Amino acid sequence: MTSETSISEDMDKTRIIYQVRLVNTPGPLPCTSKCSLLDSLESHQLEVHSHCREGFCGACRTKLIHGEVEYITDPLAYIDDDEILPCCCVPKSDLVIKLG
Amino acid sequence: MKYTTFNQKVSNPLTEPMFFGNPVNVARYDQQKHNIFEKLIEKQISFFWRPEEVDVSKDRVDFQKLTDSEKHIFISNLKYQTLLDSVQGRSPNIAFLPIVSLPELETWIETWSFFETIHSRSYTHILRNLFSDPSDVFEDIVLNDEIKLRASDISRYYDDLIFATQLWQTQGEGRHHVDGQDYLINQRELKKKLYLCMNSVNALEAIRFYVSFACTFAFAEREMMEGNSKIIRLIARDENLHLTSTQHILNIWARGKDDPEMKEIAEECHDQARDIFIKAVEQEKQWASYLFQHGSMIGLNKDILCQYVEFIATHRMSAIGMESPFEVTTNPLPWMNNYLNSDNVQVAPQESEISSYLVGQIDSEVNADDFGDFDL
Repeated sequence: MTSETSISEDMDKTRIIYQVRLVNTPGPLPCTSKCSLLDSLESHQLEVHSHCREGFCGACRTKLIHGEVEYITDPLAYIDDDEILPCCCVPKSDLVIKLG
Repeated sequence: MKYTTFNQKVSNPLTEPMFFGNPVNVARYDQQKHNIFEKLIEKQISFFWRPEEVDVSKDRVDFQKLTDSEKHIFISNLKYQTLLDSVQGRSPNIAFLPIVSLPELETWIETWSFFETIHSRSYTHILRNLFSDPSDVFEDIVLNDEIKLRASDISRYYDDLIFATQLWQTQGEGRHHVDGQDYLINQRELKKKLYLCMNSVNALEAIRFYVSFACTFAFAEREMMEGNSKIIRLIARDENLHLTSTQHILNIWARGKDDPEMKEIAEECHDQARDIFIKAVEQEKQWASYLFQHGSMIGLNKDILCQYVEFIATHRMSAIGMESPFEVTTNPLPWMNNYLNSDNVQVAPQESEISSYLVGQIDSEVNADDFGDFDL
């Protein structure tokens, strides 16, 4: 593997865009795996209830109906098996979510 | 059952319930039944701060400029916060440590309470700066009827559990006659008292603190009393973590992930627990009317504050599986989120004195990609 290919692969990895659909909202929103799901949702002018933005307060608790996310920070707040904390995760696939 | 500081009976902490099992003997954390509590301990310790590191000297000038009604809001608020942390600085230790059975939870309770004592010390730091003699403010906390009303509700569930535990430890199960009153003591009754107490603590951390936080941050929005706001921001960050811990405990019980009897009790006492929460909301609304009895302040009045209490209550109740009776769905105080954001708590050293160090922040993760440009 030469250095060039490894860099271009890396660039690709950071640029993946997933489609995030919100229940009761028309049209999916493109969200990147580069920044937290909360930041992505806010960049679409969505108001998401949030406090600590670090995964320990649980204010942004959201229902994950379909799809997979990856945590960039270990979430400390209590979440159910079907819930996610958008402040500390990134999408790993297209998602269907329901804001709290 | 008599409490022992080092239980010599061999027990397996992985199969003990959180409370009312065997007393903890070895403080070991290599194996954990509920590892969330160790994570909370680590996070809490990483938040360590000292009140003296925050410069509150400019607040004295700001305070002189406040109107009388604003001074009433500010000082009453501090009195109430002082009361809350006076209770929280000792009660989790006294109520929960004698009955806890897991080492990681025992240490979390001690860490939690210790941080509340930092909060208490910070109120003295704030008040010493505002008044040459803050005695009047402190002395009024036990005389003020509005505060006393809240104090009795906050401490009631703790006191109940503590007294019942003492009877159980000294006299065992059964019906006991003390000072002209009959008390029925058995495991089930004790566990019910624990459940209600934990709900009352959860309501305290979830709701009661937030009325006073809102007032503090409303001053900061006008660039007034900013030293005080910096301290309260640090306190709010800690309280958020404490709230997470009580939510975990309640949810672990309710989902039957710990003591099966606690699951039954959670179902049996659900309505009572919900009433504790709703009563706390009502009391906080009354407190808001007391705060604003001499007039509002710019950016905040009684109605908005009451709406905020309902809004935050809805979120907090849903976190522990309770249905909220309130209908406020949009945040009436959106700027509150900026003050509760933990990123905004860590300030640049050149702007202010440093209150939190990050220790050992070395990135030790090595990916195969890191060797991508290596040629042999």
